[in-house]
Amino acid sequence: MGTRFDEHPILGTTERGRLVSFTYDGKTLQGYEGEPVAVALSAAGVKVHRYTAKRHEPRGIFCAIGRCTDCVMVVDGVPNVRTCMTPLVEGMRVQTQYGATATPFDDIVTADEKGGTR
Amino acid sequence: MNRTDIIVVGAGPAGMSAAIEAAKRGAHVTVFDENSRPGGQLFKQIHKFFGSKEHHAKIRGFVIGEELMEEAARLGVDVRLDSTVIGLYQDKEVVVREGEEVSHHKADAIVIATGAAENMVTFEGWTLPGVIGAGAAQTMMNLHGVRPGERVLMLGTGNVGLVVSYQLKQAGCDVVALVDAAPRVGGYGVHAAKVARTGVPFYLSHTIKRAEGTDHVTGVTIAQVDSHFQFVPGTEKHFDVDTICVAVGLSPMSQLFKMDGCKVVDDRKKGGQVPVVDDLGETSTPGIFAAGDVSGIEEASSAMIEGRIAGLAAAEYLGFIDKDEMDKAVVANDAALDGLRQGMFAPKNRGKLVTTTEEGIPVSQSLLEHGYVADDEIARFPGVTRRVGIHPVIECTQNIPCNPCQDACPKHCIKVGDHITQLPAVEANSACIGCGMCVASCPGQAIFLVDEKDEEGFADVTLPYEFLPVPAKGERGVALGRDGSPVCEAEVVSVRQTRAFDHTALLTMRVPADMAMRARFFRAGSAGAAANETSAAAATAAAE
Amino acid sequence: MKEICDRTRDLGPFEPKPGDDQIVCRCEEVTQGEIRRAVHDGLFTIAEIRRYLRCGMGLCQGQTCSRLVKGIVARELGVSPDELEPASSRAPMRPIEMSVFAKEAERDER
Repeated sequence: MGTRFDEHPILGTTERGRLVSFTYDGKTLQGYEGEPVAVALSAAGVKVHRYTAKRHEPRGIFCAIGRCTDCVMVVDGVPNVRTCMTPLVEGMRVQTQYGATATPFDDIVTADEKGGTR
Repeated sequence: MNRTDIIVVGAGPAGMSAAIEAAKRGAHVTVFDENSRPGGQLFKQIHKFFGSKEHHAKIRGFVIGEELMEEAARLGVDVRLDSTVIGLYQDKEVVVREGEEVSHHKADAIVIATGAAENMVTFEGWTLPGVIGAGAAQTMMNLHGVRPGERVLMLGTGNVGLVVSYQLKQAGCDVVALVDAAPRVGGYGVHAAKVARTGVPFYLSHTIKRAEGTDHVTGVTIAQVDSHFQFVPGTEKHFDVDTICVAVGLSPMSQLFKMDGCKVVDDRKKGGQVPVVDDLGETSTPGIFAAGDVSGIEEASSAMIEGRIAGLAAAEYLGFIDKDEMDKAVVANDAALDGLRQGMFAPKNRGKLVTTTEEGIPVSQSLLEHGYVADDEIARFPGVTRRVGIHPVIECTQNIPCNPCQDACPKHCIKVGDHITQLPAVEANSACIGCGMCVASCPGQAIFLVDEKDEEGFADVTLPYEFLPVPAKGERGVALGRDGSPVCEAEVVSVRQTRAFDHTALLTMRVPADMAMRARFFRAGSAGAAANETSAAAATAAAE
Repeated sequence: MKEICDRTRDLGPFEPKPGDDQIVCRCEEVTQGEIRRAVHDGLFTIAEIRRYLRCGMGLCQGQTCSRLVKGIVARELGVSPDELEPASSRAPMRPIEMSVFAKEAERDER
């Protein structure tokens, strides 16, 4: 998923910002400054942005224009950030969102599994 | 509280056009848009627009977007991006979120041009990562230079599904199939034909049974549906894909009108909940106007005209111009709008089955059912003629409001006539010089130049080509028919790329004389096993 | 509209249907079956169903599902979707943190 291309028959050469590093679940990845976080993740092969609260199902990019809120992740510690609308900044800390936090469900000892973490 | 004359919500084609018209008449206009780029969907639209000169025909959407932005800037329109209108209250008070702050704005007139949202359908696995809206695909590839996936299945054959399928191919993706539960292609036949001839199979009366994969899409199974949209057992087909694109229509985003208390109705022909408006776009609340998709789903060309009318009306409402001046300006726009609302795909014909053209010619059934005009149907259309020597072949077979081909020809070989929806005809005895302007100007990529050299035993076919890499002169490959299947070997004898063609390369391939009316696309490489792997190998029936 | 809200109408017994386990509201993870059952439980309006099941009340505010929910309810009631009153529209139109609302208060006091 998400291979970048540099040349397009109609749009010509793709203009991109500066190449910067950011972290995704602790791993260092690279992307272009100013592009949506979701695009940088897609180009890096990341498809799953979050796991849902009730069913613990994976979700990723769906509308890519900030409407559907399916691509939300924990960014710099803040949950529910729409990654398709958030420009990438050097050093950004991006984490998979589980329910409404960055803590994987398996690690939540006290939470009621059935009711989710909300 | 910030005060201004007019607030426009949405910096898309409708909103920007409204802002420009009102600013021209002296109004202070502020435009709010929640996106970080203006232009709405225009900057993702990379095809040439249909229509006539007054509708920006044959200009690509993103170029129109740039022109709108420049004009607005020149007129001093205040365009505020990353500014989300979160509420509209009594007496035209608008609440906006900008960054980490909420601010209040008050205007004397408001134009709401919030556009539309994509519709969705549910199927097993539709929430898996890799199932995306067609708009998402457009955003990723046309704004950010990233392919949404490598192998894509498209659900929906309306204009969005067709255009985005073509764009996916332009970005280098493999489109394995176009699928629609309806029995007939919903969008323009020319959009379907330009996808079909590249080898993408169409499955009408089919829909998605399930998306497969655990953490993301790895495959999809489609199946045929009957007239009640129930699956027909035993018709399942499986495709290995990493992406499923959904393009099943749009709904107006009309919530702000409801919040204000404007009268809203459910109108199926307009795509859903729309405000009740008069001829000028004014809602039941005086001074609140609607323009563009939010008041009924149409094309960007009509959205721009509706925007201009709403902008004029708002300027008149506030006294920047008198009624006479407004009426004069509106009349011209009404005529332009009326021009776009003609033909088989006019809003009034939505959902109707049109079986003959205005000229009385039976519509191609193959085009409706498979996405391409069959070889034995093509000759009945007035743009398709044959003679020795070079001449245009215009495979335009449905009445749509569009006429750039007529203006493009310096020798007046092509005639659409007074009525913009008429099928273009090739004038007998006209002196085609093979300049190719008609080929490059056709937004539907439906015009070819055919140079029939019967005595020499071959024909040269010139076609519009918008993919990379552009084949080189001398390159050998396969000519594909309208259905995308190989018909013969071909050699590229000329490649023309000029500024006037606006990124459409004109490829001329040499084929045997008897293929002059069948060969319509070129694929590099041999005609052997690899030629049609997309459609043949991928569609393996899945055992249930 | 009156006829739709007639609670004495007999919709027949709730019969499971294929697709009942499919998510309709992606944010609140509400399924087709839950929506259909709610109608059989006597919730005939979109507003009631929204309050009862939370479909359309999640982060996206019904951007994707409102039309789907309307279709399911209409089918269950045997009416056209146009006949159903859509849920009311309220601010904020997009998700917004309480801290942002709080910032406005600070600034207005200045």
